[in-house]
Amino acid sequence: MKRHPLLIVAATVAATLAVVHATGCGAARSARSLAADKVYVAPGELDKYYAFLSGGQSGSVFVVGIPSGRLIREIPVFEQRAAYGYAMHDADPRRRELLETGGAWGDTHHPVLSETDGMPNGKYLWINDLANARLARVRLDYFETDRILKLPNLQGAHGIAVVSPSTKYIVVNGEFEQPTDGLVTNPAPYTSVVAFVDPEAMVTTFEVRVNGNIDIADSSKDGRFAFSTIYNLEQGKDLGGMIQYDRDAVAAIDIPAAEQAVAAGKGVVRNGVPILDPADTPGILTLIPVPKNPHGINVTPDGRYAIASGKLSPTVTIIDAHTLKIVAEPEVGLGPLHTTFDDRGNAFTSLFLDSQVVKWNIDKAVSGASDYIVDRINVHYNIGHLQAVGGDHTHPYGDYLLALNKLSKDQYVAVGPDLPENQEIIDISGDKMKMLASFPTPPEPHDATFMAASVLRPLVKQTFTPAADAVQTGEEKIVRTGLHAVTVDMTLIRSAYTPETIEVKEGDQVTLRITNVETIRDMIHGFALPDHNLNIALAPGYTKTITFDAGKPGVYWFYCTNFCSALHLEMRGRMIVQPKDSTVTITDWHAAANVKGQVVPGVPSTGDKP
Amino acid sequence: MSGRVSASRRRVVAPRLQSSAVYIAAAALTAAALALPLWGFAMSAPQYPGETLHLRIARTGIVGDVHEITTLQQYIGVRFPSELPELRWATRAVRLLTVLLIGAAFTGGGRVGRSYRIACAAAFLAFLCAAAGAVQMRLYRVGHEREANSPIRAVGAFTPPLLGPIKVGNFTVWSFPHVGAVLLLGGAALSAAGARRSGGRVFPPARDKAAA
Repeated sequence: MKRHPLLIVAATVAATLAVVHATGCGAARSARSLAADKVYVAPGELDKYYAFLSGGQSGSVFVVGIPSGRLIREIPVFEQRAAYGYAMHDADPRRRELLETGGAWGDTHHPVLSETDGMPNGKYLWINDLANARLARVRLDYFETDRILKLPNLQGAHGIAVVSPSTKYIVVNGEFEQPTDGLVTNPAPYTSVVAFVDPEAMVTTFEVRVNGNIDIADSSKDGRFAFSTIYNLEQGKDLGGMIQYDRDAVAAIDIPAAEQAVAAGKGVVRNGVPILDPADTPGILTLIPVPKNPHGINVTPDGRYAIASGKLSPTVTIIDAHTLKIVAEPEVGLGPLHTTFDDRGNAFTSLFLDSQVVKWNIDKAVSGASDYIVDRINVHYNIGHLQAVGGDHTHPYGDYLLALNKLSKDQYVAVGPDLPENQEIIDISGDKMKMLASFPTPPEPHDATFMAASVLRPLVKQTFTPAADAVQTGEEKIVRTGLHAVTVDMTLIRSAYTPETIEVKEGDQVTLRITNVETIRDMIHGFALPDHNLNIALAPGYTKTITFDAGKPGVYWFYCTNFCSALHLEMRGRMIVQPKDSTVTITDWHAAANVKGQVVPGVPSTGDKP
Repeated sequence: MSGRVSASRRRVVAPRLQSSAVYIAAAALTAAALALPLWGFAMSAPQYPGETLHLRIARTGIVGDVHEITTLQQYIGVRFPSELPELRWATRAVRLLTVLLIGAAFTGGGRVGRSYRIACAAAFLAFLCAAAGAVQMRLYRVGHEREANSPIRAVGAFTPPLLGPIKVGNFTVWSFPHVGAVLLLGGAALSAAGARRSGGRVFPPARDKAAA
């Protein structure tokens, strides 16, 4: 059989294409598996780092494992959360604090960690509530919110920072100006303050008055200066008015000088806090001009420079963190918002408009070399903050970088018009950045900070040591303490509530002191009471006291909301609310004739029981 | 001359001292056992990663993860023994053995002393057999005398061995003699070794010849 030459040519071309296709795919597969290897944490294995992401308008903190991107815990802070029984009832001190300081919701932006020698020590995390000018502290031994502070004399608590290296203060920037003397009738210019909060006592020690909108914060590594970006030096009240000038500023507050001024009795005390006015105390505030409406300010790990990101200008401004002189202002790309660092002298700046991360060399940029840009990588999309692991501390790890993107668009399967936020994990260990993985979250992480898992390993507790007011096994009781008041001391353990039946009267105020007497980790029990707007969750050893109205007459089955054991469904009890004026006593409820006639072969009819 | 006398004295006294030391040591081990855990259990299950549950039976009672194990056993109807009457007679027996062993340290090399020491070893052996029997009986009862109305009845009757593992539901339960029991075994071994010695009569003549 004679073969046509064209047929041979066609077959050769097809075979070649097939080989090229196959090897190309192989290369792609190989790149994918290399990336996957960098973030794959097998079931049962543990992540290397904790990432703490602000929850934005979720009012919480998301705890994510890095490199896996697995969401491990949400810490509710400014919002009640039924699932964790957090701030759900009036007797909960966190709920009281929330209601007293501005409401049971918040807008968290910047998580910061307590430091020793410039590195996280695993004690506390602080997070701001921009909406209601609050600062919360989370204990990292229990991963629980333990204090919420209302910041006086300011609105829009935006940028926050730990004063390095030893957590002397938490700096909180008031972004929205207020009338100078707190009087809305005063036509004088509005002004803002930077608050300095005592991290242990959680009280505002002093404030410094600064004109303009005080935005993002950081501190010099030696604790001398608190840096803040300021926009709207114009003091415009609308968008057009805020972008008139060519330059705004970075504020550097001299912390020791401010402390001396406070000690000398300077400043006007308002709402119990001395406010220093730089006009009266020269030297405490230095304003460094930068292109207008800057955004991020980040101090390099070695403490040499503070880098302000241009936002509306395609530049970053490199400021000597000791002399406060501008040393360079290199172009990096469109919409630079924040900068972070590796351990090899490189900076990474997020470019909101370019939807990119740009890697650039600090020394080259400072020296004026033209080849300071090292690499760029696309992110998806409109990146806000970015943080390399350890980049905000003195010893960056130089391995992973987290891009916190504002828009996800086409990155996940469609879930309706309200799309998730998109975080991307980028490998920064080589010269070229490599995209490794992404993970979505509820709205809306703004910023993140990291800690090596090894720091927290010896510090984290997994059960509570029973408190002094814990109900002991064998001491459970129901006591009528007044005409309309009943106190119940209850314990719970797999798989029962003790007591299982509570009888009260319509109109009673029921005070329930409840202890989870489990001693083994992860044995959490819930107490949900239907029609009483009540669910509390109790980790092992935890005690909560709640007071609630008995409600309408009826039988209410309280039950365990946290799946605990083989008898979880059977773990319940009754609250019987007697009618107010009834003389009838509901001694007990028993299944009777109502189930008679429903005969299951081989099973005695319940109604037949005595 | 004086050298010979001294050597002769050593020949007689040294084995006696050694024998006494053996019995003092045996008595000390036996007495110490009462202050230490006698029996141990280790329980592991998939949902207890790195947190094996332990029970230790000592003269003073049951210690360890009692709270958790009490919580767990309700599901299969095991009755946690709130007290162990066996421990009462066992304690008395161990104290008696201690006294007997101290006595053995001061018995002479004669036939009476030897008989006494053999009796000591026999008593110790008898005690160990009785104790092992009692423990095994208790283990049998734990696995058999259970609540008829327990929630999970799929776990059948079981008897943990004196030494080794057994699967009970989702748990693997290891049973083993604890430090106290090991000390008792040591005491018994020393007592047996002491009984085999025959005071100062066997070794000195041999050494005498060697010296000559």
